[in-house]
Amino acid sequence: MIEPFTLPFMGRALIEIVLLALICGPVSVFVYARRLAFVSDALTHTVFPGVVIGFVAGGLDGLFVGALVAGLLTAVVLTVLTRGNRVSDDAATAVVLTAMFSVGVVLVSRRTSYTSDLTAFLFGRLLTVTPRQIAETAVVAVVVLVALLIGARALLFRTFDPAGSAAAGFRVGWLDLWLNVVVALVVVAAVRAVGTILVVALLIVPAAAARMVTDRLVAMAVIGTLLIAGAGCAGLLASWTASLHYGVALTSASSIVLLLVAVYLLLIPVRLLRTRRGGPPVPERNSAHELVG
Amino acid sequence: MQTALRYAAVSVGYDRTPVLTDVDLDLRPGQRLALVGPNGAGKSTLIKSVLGLAPILAGQASVLGADPAAARGRAGYVPQTDTLDADFPVSVRQVVMMGRYRRIGWWRPARAADRRAVAEALERVGLADRAGHRFGTLSGGQRQRVLLARAIAAEPRLLLLDEPFNGVDAVSQEAIVAVLRQLSAEGAALVLSTHDLGVARDLADLVCLINGRQWAVGPPAGTLTADKLRMTYGGHAVDLPDGRMMLVEP
Repeated sequence: MIEPFTLPFMGRALIEIVLLALICGPVSVFVYARRLAFVSDALTHTVFPGVVIGFVAGGLDGLFVGALVAGLLTAVVLTVLTRGNRVSDDAATAVVLTAMFSVGVVLVSRRTSYTSDLTAFLFGRLLTVTPRQIAETAVVAVVVLVALLIGARALLFRTFDPAGSAAAGFRVGWLDLWLNVVVALVVVAAVRAVGTILVVALLIVPAAAARMVTDRLVAMAVIGTLLIAGAGCAGLLASWTASLHYGVALTSASSIVLLLVAVYLLLIPVRLLRTRRGGPPVPERNSAHELVG
Repeated sequence: MQTALRYAAVSVGYDRTPVLTDVDLDLRPGQRLALVGPNGAGKSTLIKSVLGLAPILAGQASVLGADPAAARGRAGYVPQTDTLDADFPVSVRQVVMMGRYRRIGWWRPARAADRRAVAEALERVGLADRAGHRFGTLSGGQRQRVLLARAIAAEPRLLLLDEPFNGVDAVSQEAIVAVLRQLSAEGAALVLSTHDLGVARDLADLVCLINGRQWAVGPPAGTLTADKLRMTYGGHAVDLPDGRMMLVEP
């Protein structure tokens, strides 16, 4: 079981996925609670042109900077567009998502090695992670965890009760930007390893699966982290075994995502059992009519 | 004695469009004010303007001796329960602790004083035994009491409640009324919007009738009269043959 991970490239892949688990677990709890699944999806797509531009300008090293600039820019644009619900959140997000993704496709299609580049950007290359990439992921992980730790209380209040937190003096707009930037950073950190399409799974599935078994936010973050780390380890082993012993090319990132989804599906009955045992009672409602003497 | 809330010829609204005009209020510490009017009258907007969340378009407004925007975070607020996600994974204790977040600060852990304030607030609303329960598993009335406890934990001198009796069972309503009386006896000024004229009459020192503008303000006996209610509610007031009047929400 451990033997494959003694190989440098497998070991690096494992370290990378564990680092990603450390940030995706906690962040996915906020993505779940704020219902930011679509925003996260948009971020993964808008990072795509940044990745392409970065790659064209500076090769593999430029990729990170490109993704970072695009991610932060999108976080700001999405926060401004959805502020005060001037445009419906979904419509604004969809416009930004499709526009930026198209820009990315146009840019990447101008290159000669079009298909192989596109595959790498979309689905990632977990097995070719370099020590430098691991260092960059570690730095992003520290920034994300510190940002979450500082903002956790305010973000929790804002997520649960936007009007109440604003009345208490918290700046909801800034908190939204804060969380969007955190999500963008996670996407940037994960995009090279698992690709722009699959990174969204790491931001949504862990918390959704953890919610099936617990009602506590901290427990959700811990379980989510363990789920990604576990699925990461098992996914890497699966793709290793498949290609070595059965000659089947199984992408490691997609194995990990499939395992995560499988865990989610397996936990659905647990959730059903728990809600059946103690569901919330239906609140009583007053009549809209009032009689006065 | 400093006034808790003073509005003089105030208009409030959004995007420069007034929702409510001609508001004159003078609320002293310990007084209870009921905002009465039909749906869409501007009750929530008025409350939000006091909290600094809806702009004052005209007139003079003073909240706890300051401009509403500057006083933001100092007045307590109890929202309607049904605006919150019942599926949210948060415990009753965590919800009440939110009332202390501004005092605790961004990263410091909660101190013994904070935990004590939370326990006392839950005790006052009669839900001390539910502290560990998930918020969404409580009944509508109990959830409303938790939100009241959250406001109490912040120890505000001015407390605003948006329809605190909507969807609330009789037991919880009694509990809420009792706590509100205690709070004002301790010197807190209260503003609550309500559809329930009985509650307004029994609980409030002052009643403010609004519907697009302020139609009347004063003690319940002089404001909750058939004439003034008919004026405020317009076509939504229906006279019944037995001499009573029925207010029909649009």
